[in-house]
Amino acid sequence: MDLTYAQEGKEYIIREIATDDEELDSFLFTLGCYSGEPVTVVSRTRNGCVISVKDGRYNIDHQLASAILI
Amino acid sequence: MRIAFAGNPNSGKTTMYNALTGRNERVGNWAGVTVEKKEAAIKKNYCAGGEELVAVDLPGAYSMSPFTSEESITSSYVRNERPDVIINIVDATNLSRSLFFTTQLLELGVPVVVALNKSDINEKKGTSIDSVALSDQLGCPVVNTVSTSACGLEEVVQAAVSLKGKSQKAPYVQTGVDLTDKHEVEKADRRRFEFVNRIVPKVETRRTLTKERNVQDRIDNILTNPVIGLIIFAGVMFLVFQISQAWAGPWFADLLTGRIDAFGEAVGGWMESSSPFLQSLVVDGIIGGVGAVIGFLPLVMVMYFLIALLEDCGYMARATVVLDPIFKKVGLSGKSVIPFIIGTGCAIPGVMACRTIRNERERRATAMLTSFMPCGAKLPVIALFAGAFFADASWVGTLMYFVGIFLILACALLVNTLAGYKVRKSYFIIELPEYKTPSLIRAFYSMCGRGWAYIVKAGTIILVCNTLVQIMQSFNWQLQVVEEGMENTSILASVAGPFAYLLIPIVGFHAWQLAAAAVTGFIAKENVVGTLAVCYGISNFINTDELALMDGAGSSVAAVFGLTKAAALAYLMFNLFTPPCFAAIGAMNSEMKSAKWLWGGIGLQLGVGYAAGFLVYQIGTLAATGTVGGGFVPGLTAVLAMAAVIIYLIRRTNRRLAAEYELESNSASRSAA
Repeated sequence: MDLTYAQEGKEYIIREIATDDEELDSFLFTLGCYSGEPVTVVSRTRNGCVISVKDGRYNIDHQLASAILI
Repeated sequence: MRIAFAGNPNSGKTTMYNALTGRNERVGNWAGVTVEKKEAAIKKNYCAGGEELVAVDLPGAYSMSPFTSEESITSSYVRNERPDVIINIVDATNLSRSLFFTTQLLELGVPVVVALNKSDINEKKGTSIDSVALSDQLGCPVVNTVSTSACGLEEVVQAAVSLKGKSQKAPYVQTGVDLTDKHEVEKADRRRFEFVNRIVPKVETRRTLTKERNVQDRIDNILTNPVIGLIIFAGVMFLVFQISQAWAGPWFADLLTGRIDAFGEAVGGWMESSSPFLQSLVVDGIIGGVGAVIGFLPLVMVMYFLIALLEDCGYMARATVVLDPIFKKVGLSGKSVIPFIIGTGCAIPGVMACRTIRNERERRATAMLTSFMPCGAKLPVIALFAGAFFADASWVGTLMYFVGIFLILACALLVNTLAGYKVRKSYFIIELPEYKTPSLIRAFYSMCGRGWAYIVKAGTIILVCNTLVQIMQSFNWQLQVVEEGMENTSILASVAGPFAYLLIPIVGFHAWQLAAAAVTGFIAKENVVGTLAVCYGISNFINTDELALMDGAGSSVAAVFGLTKAAALAYLMFNLFTPPCFAAIGAMNSEMKSAKWLWGGIGLQLGVGYAAGFLVYQIGTLAATGTVGGGFVPGLTAVLAMAAVIIYLIRRTNRRLAAEYELESNSASRSAA
């Protein structure tokens, strides 16, 4: 499943970043958001969600959330 | 000796750089404030004796492999320019991410000092980092710092100086990687992150984990709520404009203009014996024109102060989250918000801030639209017209900002239609920095820095322009002094005259003074105020009641200009939404990197400014008097012609897209066959 279905507050391990946008893939990598790494959805809004990766907080939209498979 | 400042975005590099060098570069609590390399000498009290130290502030980067233009500035600088020492500013609250870049810097052979910045936030959260152990692991000095309160800076500089000429041993070396093979590179990067992941638990103990929900997340929930967040954003911006233009700003301005007037009178007194031309050049042209512009300085400074507070507290990142869905609908991204908000200070840094937008089309469109947000230089123009024609009604100022936002959204739609924008997947991600109490002192410094720049501009460009305007107004082409009542024969009147015809559909009559002001406005928007002050011989625009009292009843600024309310509003909007000053156009050029986009942008701005002015004047006049204003037919023709050009261009784009689509489907069906 992808991050849009993730339970709030529960830690998941990223399985895959499903995108053909290589630049985005590499950018997420430098943030520490890549397969094998833990990710937590801290909260959810109507337009996206707030995730915690490594020790950073990011707001991402639904499109990106659905590209992060867990 | 050169010391480069490198580190992740929003780790506090520029704050440290400002503290060390005494400069006043823009800082803000979000990722991507600095987009260019900056250099300055470090203050002597940080480096007792010895040689001069030059600090080089670099844009933030997450890794040595660049994705954005500002990241590539950083990696190419540290790689090719070989600074003597690199100070790697590490966000101590996010060690696990930051050390990835640190290990890359350590491989370059240039000595590195790690500054563990934001250590105060860590203390508050109960996170402790064993800097000695970290130093052992990395093989470089590690210093705890808090750049917002200048703690630990001396130690960092000393550590950097002591490393000069030494080499750097890397704790982790990436070997034998074929950089052209994407998978190989990724594997190597994974190993690097694994190395970092092994170090972090050895040196860091956390009482609270980042993934846990905290108070800040609850605040975020409200501020980024699609409805409430939007209302809060509108409220915050309204307050910024209201406080600077209606409450605190004018109060300070009143104090200032009295002095400027008194100074002008005093100088007039000293010069009584000199020639009337010289006297009016100095008193009306220079002191009057520049004084009129300086008179609005308090309003501008109050606004700069408030914006600095906003930038410092961490709200900006949340504002981009709220606005992203709206901006996405018109084909921009939430990141476009930052250029627009910075643009309320000055369009040039606003346009430069577009660099952080990854998508090229979004970046160019944002650069094109940034100047629709009235900047600090346009604020005096707004305040002048609000004061003179609308009894200081504060809605005029706020309205102009919201009209600006409306125009941005409408024009973004138009630009995307013209550019043949096809809906594509665009992802949005923004780091949410920790909130912090904004520092009044730093906001004050930032305000003074920008206020000083405003004064310098008034004392140079504006002064020169006003002097020229005064001279051109005083003489006719035979170089004789223009007599009273014969102002229409002056050089200025005949030069500005042709432009004034173009303005008839906006102001209702032929006024070369207004045309001259609009034209000098392209050099700097404050010139609109300065030129009007010189042309109409009024220096105090702030306290217009006083003027009416001084010159007797009826002689208000409004009467001198001879504009109706509708015409005043129209002329104001024309000046606000036409192309910005030349400097901002230059910035647009360097960010867009395309002559087609640049000229398209200028054309769009001219069209929008003209159409907005025309519509406001004509509709306003129709509503007030029941008939349309002067120059209706030519104005309408011009606006319709512009509309026709746009429709033609849209059709052409649609045809092109249809052709492309056909080609694609043809080739698809061929390959299927």
